[in-house]
Amino acid sequence: MDLRSLIRPASQLLTPLRCLSAPRAVTAAVSLPLTSSRGHKTTARTKRALKISPHDSFLPSRTTEFPAADSIIYNPPASEASPAHTPFIFLPRNDPRRLAITRLRSTASNPTAYDSSQANGELPPEMRYKRRQPKYNLTKEHIEEMRRLRNEDPLTWSVQKLARKFECSTVFVQMAAPAPPEHLQWLKGKLERKMERWGPKKTAAREDRKRRAEMLYRGEL
Amino acid sequence: MKRIRPSRWSGQLLQARCGAGIAAARQPFLLAARSQSTSSAAAHDSSSTTSTLIDSPPPSLPAPSFSRAAQSAKLAALHARLSLSKKIPLQTLARALVTPSADANPNFNNTNLAYLGSTIVNYHVLEYLVCKWPRLPMAILYEALRAYAGDASLQQVARRWGVESAAAPGEEVDPGLLQWKAGEEQLVNTRWGYVRSDKAPAWRRGLSSRVVLDNDFGDQVSSLEAEKPEYDTLQSEAFGSVVQAVIGAIYTHCGREEVKAFVKSHILSRELDPSTLFEFKLPTRELAMLCAREGFEAPVARLESETGRLSRTPVYVVGIYSGNEKLGEGAGPSLDVARRQASMASLKAWYLYSPGNKVRVPSDMMEEGAKPWKAPYIDIGEII
Repeated sequence: MDLRSLIRPASQLLTPLRCLSAPRAVTAAVSLPLTSSRGHKTTARTKRALKISPHDSFLPSRTTEFPAADSIIYNPPASEASPAHTPFIFLPRNDPRRLAITRLRSTASNPTAYDSSQANGELPPEMRYKRRQPKYNLTKEHIEEMRRLRNEDPLTWSVQKLARKFECSTVFVQMAAPAPPEHLQWLKGKLERKMERWGPKKTAAREDRKRRAEMLYRGEL
Repeated sequence: MKRIRPSRWSGQLLQARCGAGIAAARQPFLLAARSQSTSSAAAHDSSSTTSTLIDSPPPSLPAPSFSRAAQSAKLAALHARLSLSKKIPLQTLARALVTPSADANPNFNNTNLAYLGSTIVNYHVLEYLVCKWPRLPMAILYEALRAYAGDASLQQVARRWGVESAAAPGEEVDPGLLQWKAGEEQLVNTRWGYVRSDKAPAWRRGLSSRVVLDNDFGDQVSSLEAEKPEYDTLQSEAFGSVVQAVIGAIYTHCGREEVKAFVKSHILSRELDPSTLFEFKLPTRELAMLCAREGFEAPVARLESETGRLSRTPVYVVGIYSGNEKLGEGAGPSLDVARRQASMASLKAWYLYSPGNKVRVPSDMMEEGAKPWKAPYIDIGEII
């Protein structure tokens, strides 16, 4: 510390002298100071800012009295979960692991839970995505009506519209009331004409997306 | 019940020439004036052979004579390198190196030994796979079998043993080299399997029908002339047949226990991660169907953590839960990708269930003093 505080004023004194002695030769070198501009004050401050107490999982367990005879610190690095670890409900009835986990869970704390919030029964928030929500609200008459509408005017009564009217999924409409074949043919032709108009960028982007999905399903992404 | 003792057979079975007369009736054009023989069966007419030898020089053999096997340093080195039993003569090892592409005569090439070896290898690998990962789908099981016992893998094994191929097969070549050539049409059929009937070609070739029909890896065997296979395929077939033939030779001369130990140390010791073999189509739907079939609650995706939602490279970690139980977890750059990853991870966790690393296989029961058999876990079948 003392040495550095001495050096800096000295170097500051020296710089104009060096500029005078070699004005053209080492202009680039001159612009660099001899010592780093970061002083002891900022170093200490940075150190203090970066000093973070370790995560609880690194510390020995506090549940027992302080110097505990032996405690296990289990803190694996963050990594992708391996499929080799079979979840509890996937274990067959007579698997010894199932019995062991059941026995562990019957005790007060649940060590098989992934974190403390799960042990308390709190689960992470549900995601919103389209999923099957069976309602079973349609009768035979409804389906006949649906078929009649679709056959009469498939343009007006599209799959989306019928699904909204009968409060069912589009997949169900497609299964229960398929459009007449000439309408499907017309739709197909319409799509093909649309795809023909796509430029090279859009076509390539579509192909790439398809390829990416395949790679994802192969586990290569 | 008597125990079969193949070790006592070795004297007879070594003389592969015993049935040469029967084979000659089948393939007369190939057996024309072969003076190469080490067996006593053909010894009685040696006087006539020697007389023809004096008259005209014998036609050159397609592969090196077995009488030179004992002089080959390469064969002795291979024998020692594999720590083979002394019961296996060098002549048998030399025969294991002669492929049907070099010498089409089944009395002198490795076809029969390779077939015997392939059944042994496939049996041991398949019983291990079925006991180790009882829930593997059929398609993955076939691929895993191919990964252990397919020609490409056996070629790697043969290369690690130090088997080298001769530039061209011939009588003057060192018998310690693999006698193999590509390009010629296959005179002998070396593929085994059940051929499907041609009457109903439009029938679907389902996976479960491959258990009975087709070959061991679920590949179709056609009776018609197939298109010419590529060089690499032929090469791996030739090298693979060496490994199979050596295993067949060990079984013939030393018996069941030795061959099992050999397969275990040379083929089953290779590492395979079956989780890389999967290719899913609709993982979320498959998982929902699995939960419905097994009576679990319907799977629900939950967002465990996320970072950088408004940035260019966000990361979402999604967990799939069935009730309070977590099935799997996946991370991805979008919510949808992460959810699909998590579904695939859960499905893999289901399919890759393993009772443990030290599974007992049925062939363990053939050892003397084996503990009573406990039935392994048997899965009810695939999901869709």
